[in-house]
Amino acid sequence: MQEIKRKYVVPGDRIIEGNFRPLSNVTKSGNSIFATRIGIAEATRDGIKVIPLSGVYIPRVNDIVIGKIIDHSSLSWQVDISSCFSAHLPAQDVFGRDFSPARDDMNKQLAIGDLVTARIMAFDRTRDPMLTVQDKDLGRIPRGEFLKISATRVPRLIGKRGSMIQTIEQATQTRILIGQNGIVVVTGRNAEGTQLAIRAIRMVEEEAHTSNLTQRIKTLLNVPEPQSTETLPESAESEGQKLNSIPDTEEQVQEELGKGDIE
Amino acid sequence: MVQTRSLIDEQGLRTDGRTTDELRNVKIQVGIVKNADGSAYIEFGKNRIIAAVYGPREVHPKHMAQPDRCVLRCRYHMSPFSTDTRKNPAPSRREVEISKVMREALEPAVMLEDYPRAAIDVFVEVLQADGGSRCAGITAASVALADAGINMRDIVSACAAGKVDGKIVLDINDVEDKEGSADMPLAYLPHLERVTLLQLDGILNQEEFNECLDKALQGCKMIYEIQRKALIQKYFGDEQELKEES
Repeated sequence: MQEIKRKYVVPGDRIIEGNFRPLSNVTKSGNSIFATRIGIAEATRDGIKVIPLSGVYIPRVNDIVIGKIIDHSSLSWQVDISSCFSAHLPAQDVFGRDFSPARDDMNKQLAIGDLVTARIMAFDRTRDPMLTVQDKDLGRIPRGEFLKISATRVPRLIGKRGSMIQTIEQATQTRILIGQNGIVVVTGRNAEGTQLAIRAIRMVEEEAHTSNLTQRIKTLLNVPEPQSTETLPESAESEGQKLNSIPDTEEQVQEELGKGDIE
Repeated sequence: MVQTRSLIDEQGLRTDGRTTDELRNVKIQVGIVKNADGSAYIEFGKNRIIAAVYGPREVHPKHMAQPDRCVLRCRYHMSPFSTDTRKNPAPSRREVEISKVMREALEPAVMLEDYPRAAIDVFVEVLQADGGSRCAGITAASVALADAGINMRDIVSACAAGKVDGKIVLDINDVEDKEGSADMPLAYLPHLERVTLLQLDGILNQEEFNECLDKALQGCKMIYEIQRKALIQKYFGDEQELKEES
């Protein structure tokens, strides 16, 4: 499996010949594996995949996304998750089993225009995605700066084991929520920090494919020690548990703001 | 207009100085329409064309949506200033037809079944027209589709060949299209080796047809290299091969 290195591909390129398992963004035809997206082809122990560099967000079950409430019917909210499908958040999910459309006012919990962090509970080819906020750290986002990046840039923004996002958060004194759908919410103590974080995020988005990006972000943010993230001063150790999982990042925000919003 | 000069001179050169199997200058730029999910600009001889792709996105009107696959919608349009006499901006019979053949040329390459109930919109706007704008349009549209990150089996490359002064030549330009005796646009999937568009305006015998087809296929392969370079340039800059980071 080690015989192929990572390489650049465009749709239709033959990545490798032989008996390999196709993972994402590839197609198997005969005895060869072809790329279907522009990106970087990679061989892992499980098979061959292409890391795409462009494209809109396609929902997947168990993704954590950030969405905007755009409407509600008597039984569910409609949520824009910046994808080709709009998602539904059932009212029962928020109010509990004894929800009654006659008694409960849905606007009290989530009004049109609110942002929510939610997990995709169910999605298949035939139905629109169904969301849930019934998990730790999910629910309404009370404040923050909203920005949209391409969903394909999300892994780069998080970085290897969360290195990129930690760097930005620490240097700008902000908390950054990232949805898999490319929606980012930045909350900071002051406006300068937030603006700086947004600039850094924009830079990551534009230069995602270039190497040594973390280093340049550090230069932009004036992070003093030009060393690896492991040896960053003080808090690096205490925040070690953050890694790249999104809920943990949210946890920090909710802790800081001192409230779980949907209860 | 009565043409007295011949379209191919004694040295075998054509009206614009090309040999019989030479393409016009082709230049492709990727990602020039910021609002679109994917876009491309192509200069194909004197053709100047912008292609923009939106999607996959929600289908409006809803009844057009297909439960098992995505709908691909194409619009080929020539701007009023693209020709020397003003072109009426309303879609003409020709434009409606080209939109259709363009869609059919692109459909086999796009993995439509990956995006059920969604739509992909392809807009091809001709800013300046020369001969062979449908081929240039298809070429640009397929680069724009790849730029939009839509799953594709292959890139579509398109090029025409034809018969001028009794000779089979590659890449017919405007004059040769109007005064030559045959024009054959071809769209091709270079990896899968499939033809997705083949039209023929004029008369060719079996032998000429085979020669014309071969020539057009060669042209498509040359176009493909340019498309590939343009995409790599946009996403990876000047380095064509990935250097391993330690």
